[in-house]
Amino acid sequence: MFQNFRLSMAWLHTWFGLVLGFVLMAVFFFGALSVFDREIDRWAVPESRFEPQPMPSFDNLLRPIFEKMQPTKTDIEQFSSRANGPMPEHFDTPVRWGAYTTHRDPVLNIFAGYEVPNAIHHDDAIFTSSTIDPRDGRIFPDDSLKIGSQFFYPLHYSLNFHWMDLGYWIVGFSSLIMLVALVSGVVMHRKFFRELFTFRPNKATQRSALDLHNLTGVVALPFHFFFAFTGLVIFAGIYFPVSHTQLEQLHDQHEIHEAQVTGLPHDRAGIAAPIASVDAMVAEAQRRWAERGMAGDVGFLALSHVGDENGYVSIYRAGTDRVALTGEGIHFKASTGEVLREDPPRTVVANVNEFLTGLHLQHFRHWLLRWLYVLGGLAGCVCIATGFIFFVEKRKRQYVKQGSQNARVVDALAVTTVTGMVLAAVGMLIGNRLLPGTLPAGWPPRGNLEEYIFWGVWVLAMAHAFWRSAPVAQARMNPAWVDQCFALAFLAPVAVVLNWITTGDHLANTISAGYWPVAGLDLALLVVAGLAFIAGRHLRRKTQTESATATNQLGSAEVQHG
Amino acid sequence: MDNFLLLAAIMLCVSGMAWLALAMDVHWKQVNSGPLPAQSVRSLRITGYSALFGSLACCLVVDHATMASLVWIMLLAGSALTIAFTLSWRPHWLRVFAVPFARAN
Repeated sequence: MFQNFRLSMAWLHTWFGLVLGFVLMAVFFFGALSVFDREIDRWAVPESRFEPQPMPSFDNLLRPIFEKMQPTKTDIEQFSSRANGPMPEHFDTPVRWGAYTTHRDPVLNIFAGYEVPNAIHHDDAIFTSSTIDPRDGRIFPDDSLKIGSQFFYPLHYSLNFHWMDLGYWIVGFSSLIMLVALVSGVVMHRKFFRELFTFRPNKATQRSALDLHNLTGVVALPFHFFFAFTGLVIFAGIYFPVSHTQLEQLHDQHEIHEAQVTGLPHDRAGIAAPIASVDAMVAEAQRRWAERGMAGDVGFLALSHVGDENGYVSIYRAGTDRVALTGEGIHFKASTGEVLREDPPRTVVANVNEFLTGLHLQHFRHWLLRWLYVLGGLAGCVCIATGFIFFVEKRKRQYVKQGSQNARVVDALAVTTVTGMVLAAVGMLIGNRLLPGTLPAGWPPRGNLEEYIFWGVWVLAMAHAFWRSAPVAQARMNPAWVDQCFALAFLAPVAVVLNWITTGDHLANTISAGYWPVAGLDLALLVVAGLAFIAGRHLRRKTQTESATATNQLGSAEVQHG
Repeated sequence: MDNFLLLAAIMLCVSGMAWLALAMDVHWKQVNSGPLPAQSVRSLRITGYSALFGSLACCLVVDHATMASLVWIMLLAGSALTIAFTLSWRPHWLRVFAVPFARAN
């Protein structure tokens, strides 16, 4: 079919890269934003703008909150398809209570799961979660959306498209194709080392786009490869759900066997029992970690089979100082506080798995590495975007001759996924600051409105990109690039100003107080505005030269004709 | 101390990439007027690679090996981008890296 291997790789790289590149663009961009998801949360939920807190006292603060927790109406609605008959209104038997925090979280995420007597699968439980202020136990309203960790972050791995879990599958398939694109890209690249540092901005757009595509692809190759790969590892359970399909019985048996080995009860005993002081257990766990030379904070605290004789408390250390999530779990009998089990050191396989998932999920405390990850993610975006531009530049003249509209479509989609996507994110932040604190009755929840704004702006940006795309069919540039760059240059500072007006936290304030979560996002928005302005001005000059040349050519043609 | 070492790691990594780029004729000419002296190629490469390994050493002192390797790999990417863009827009800034190797010959 192809003359040689290199040509077949080029075909694969071009067409698969083009189709899935649009998805990967979103994955990379929102992945880069997710590095600072908790910080974006602070910006979006001003009531949570305070310093990160350690895990609060369970006995005094968390327990009363857990005891009052109940699934919300939405939780119950979502579960109803997994139950026989109508759902109960009140849930009395908690299966699990949990609280999770990291060194970047001022607020605490807690969740509770309850038995559902009429669940189709007897092990199934209904879960609900909440966000609280760990200083005083105040509960944050359900409808405020943590834009970073509840919207941008899930967008990164599921496109927030949950129907039949299709979003996960699209992202997973795209990651797989990305691995293919990386390998085929390396095969195609003739001057891998010789052009490692090469970027010639003054050459023709086609050449400079390819330079930039190669540069950002090659220098960040380990990053691209590892993140696509570890992303797949993290969701392997979704992509290969063997433990709940072919191997379901084995999985259930294994759970029971594991319970026997670890001594942690698999089921409730059915005998009610009180809960001893969990704070004392936390103190004991911390003493044991310190004894092992790894003193640390609690990252994850969970109670299983709550209120039952078989209940136990698991306390995990926060993995702040390593490439890991949480670890060194110590488990206590809930009714007495005696230690049931200390997790043994991990096996080699578990260590590798922990490293692979940990390097992607980055719960560690390392600001330099965080920023370098953002750089890697943005390099990925540049790589994909320049891929689109190269595709259009290379073919546009040929398409003009054929009278084809293909270049128009690809170019308009490129505008949508480059400037359009950033506009949507900025639009969402603006919406977040403009929506009133309490919404009029009958309005959808605040968080939903913010999501509608995001998708609305994105759709508008797409419509605009297609509407303005006619010049591409004559091998000229789409003016939508310029328009959207200037729109960004205007709107990003608007978000910064609105943050100032609505919360009083202007940059001089946040920087002098050293409150970097908010100052950082404001500064990033200003940088975006600056870059968008420079890019817009540069592109406008280019369109002007283009149209001047076109007019000249037309003029000289007329002279010749005359 | 940790921040100081990380800063050293960044500077060594960027310098290392600069020397490796200068060891290529085309980039040397972007920075200097004359051609790249043949004898300098080897010394530029050795200096470049040593700086990169020095950077790795700094990372290893600060963090656990697992984390340090990530920091270093990402630093390599960041430094290569920095040098590539400097060569595109402000090549003369890299003259400081070239001077010792030009004078020696």
